[in-house]
Amino acid sequence: MIGFLAGTRGRGRFDWTDWFTYGYLTLGLFLMFGPVAWLVLSSFKTESAITEFPPSLLPMGTKQVAVPGEDKPKPVYRVTLADGSTRELAELRRIGLTSTMVDPARPDELVRVPIDQRTPVREFRLATENYAELAGKFDFGQYLWNSVFITVVATIITLLFNSMAAFALSKYRFAGRKTVFLLILSTLMVPPTIVLVPNFLVVSELGLLNSLWGVIWPAVATPTGVFLLRQYMLTLPDELLEAARLDHASEWRIYWRIVLPLTAPALAVLAIFSVMWRWNDFLWPLVVLSKSEKFTLQLALNAFQGDLVTQWNYLLAMTVITLVPVTLVFAFLQKFVTQGIASAGVK
Amino acid sequence: MATLNLRQLVKEFEATRVIHGVDLAVADGEFVVFVGPSGCGKSTLLRLICGLEAPTSGDIEIDGQRVNHVAAADRGLAMVFQSYALYPHMTVRQNMAFGLENVRTPREIIETKVREAARLLQLDTLLERRPTQLSGGQRQRVAIGRAIVREPRIFLFDEPLSNLDAELRVSMRTEITSLHERLAATMIYVTHDQVEAMTMADKIVVLRAGRIEQVGAPLDLYNRPANRFVAGFIGSPQMNFIPVVAGGHDGDGVAVTLPGGQALAGIAARTAPGAGTTLLLGVRPEHLALTANIADAQLSLKVLHLEQLGAHSLLHGLVADGGTRITVHAPGQTRVSAGETVGVTIAPRDAHLFAGDDAGLAI
Repeated sequence: MIGFLAGTRGRGRFDWTDWFTYGYLTLGLFLMFGPVAWLVLSSFKTESAITEFPPSLLPMGTKQVAVPGEDKPKPVYRVTLADGSTRELAELRRIGLTSTMVDPARPDELVRVPIDQRTPVREFRLATENYAELAGKFDFGQYLWNSVFITVVATIITLLFNSMAAFALSKYRFAGRKTVFLLILSTLMVPPTIVLVPNFLVVSELGLLNSLWGVIWPAVATPTGVFLLRQYMLTLPDELLEAARLDHASEWRIYWRIVLPLTAPALAVLAIFSVMWRWNDFLWPLVVLSKSEKFTLQLALNAFQGDLVTQWNYLLAMTVITLVPVTLVFAFLQKFVTQGIASAGVK
Repeated sequence: MATLNLRQLVKEFEATRVIHGVDLAVADGEFVVFVGPSGCGKSTLLRLICGLEAPTSGDIEIDGQRVNHVAAADRGLAMVFQSYALYPHMTVRQNMAFGLENVRTPREIIETKVREAARLLQLDTLLERRPTQLSGGQRQRVAIGRAIVREPRIFLFDEPLSNLDAELRVSMRTEITSLHERLAATMIYVTHDQVEAMTMADKIVVLRAGRIEQVGAPLDLYNRPANRFVAGFIGSPQMNFIPVVAGGHDGDGVAVTLPGGQALAGIAARTAPGAGTTLLLGVRPEHLALTANIADAQLSLKVLHLEQLGAHSLLHGLVADGGTRITVHAPGQTRVSAGETVGVTIAPRDAHLFAGDDAGLAI
């Protein structure tokens, strides 16, 4: 692993191409992962830490300490006293320009300090309450369920429908099969925004507005999926199907028992794509779903940005949670993507 | 167990006619081999029989019933493909059981049949393997096993041995022949290898360009080829063809004049060719003999190169007059070396005469 990561073109020393490559890759890494890292770190900041200027990279918070006789932990400050010595004291309350402070070790001894003589003591602190309080703040579970339902069901139906279309287009010879295939492909050239209104009218007529199925049905037939699977199925030898036919298999059994299992790599690719598409989908759910109990996570994120107040700490935490499933799916299945795309493209 | 009849079978792919009205009868339990050069339509014929292609016209009858419109699955045939076409994602057991599962055979019966076929083909220990974990010969046996468990009416083999190495091919040849004896099933076997055809067949069907050239038992084809094509195709090394001029004929046979001017009399013929017509004399290499005395010889041969095979030798060379290239099969090992001229004698009883035209019918 180390050897792979630290590989060079020159033997043992850096060639100029190595400098160039590493520079280019570092820049790419920064450009792509910078915002994500910033998002994740910020999601662990308290609300005040997010808005402070200049911003800090790591989530920092004022050190808190428990003071006997007080209910809540109190913030700790470094105080310069009148005699010039500095001490770390907890602030009990602040009135005007004077702050009343106490040493937690000696809670009876109150110290009054002008506020310009104190600076907060900051330490690395993860504001995990952003995540912990999320569920209570709003109906997170419902949104998560809506998103998961749409993603899973739409992906299953996508795989089923697209593979059936691809099977027919790759393995049956019928009049107009090229035309049908080209028609399906040509829909790739129509921007989704153009069909947004017609789609909406259809879904509305079918009474699917404010229903999760209204999000699922228009999305399940994808030309990309049909193309990807068809190209892959073309590489399956016809003799396998003929052998199955002689083995008394019905066409459905041939599809289900022979073609589908052998198309698994391409199906995995399409599954990943479909999960990403459906999970990240925003515009279409926004149009179809207007009741908040039907919102997907993406819509909830949007709704969380209020007109007047936005609770950024919760919004960022929720964004991170929203990113996790697709990232995991992609991380575990990405080797299928490269395999599947390679085999669908080359042959 | 079934008979097969083809009547005036024609197959066209778009405008191209690839099978030109084939008539053929296959008896119950017969081992029939379709042989011919690549592109002769032998595989297409097999696909027509099993129902993977539909004939343009003509009839296919199995056990006397016309099956033109019966789907491949319902004809009760099983095919072994050249590429084996094993389902790569299934184990050997699943591969063999698939066909039976499709007709809803009870589980215990499937198990018994698979076990039986596996024992017959020595696949017992490999049942849980996948095809990619098997050698070429084992895959071949699984493909045959898959055909056996279905107890088909007719077995079809499409060049099943062409992907195997030479040694394995010979042993699989005997295995398939003994399988045929044990099962006593009707089998149709397609190959381009005339050695396979000669060694395995009860009946050989020689095809060329979508037409049947000759049908017969292996030795019939060898001894009495119907035309020049069959004569050249059956037998290895190939039959020699020497242009000759027909002379007179008597009760003993036809006499011809050889390129060197020598006469050869007593060649068996079905009809008497007109004197003076140009014919082709067909003699197999094994029916030519070397002679030390060139004066006695019917042909003089300038040897170009030799193949010393130990048990016998093959001499390739040119006939002195006319420059026809011929091969002589000499028993044992020969002392002749390349560049020498040797005398060759012909056994007239084993020679054949063919018309000099393109069809080259036997005379």
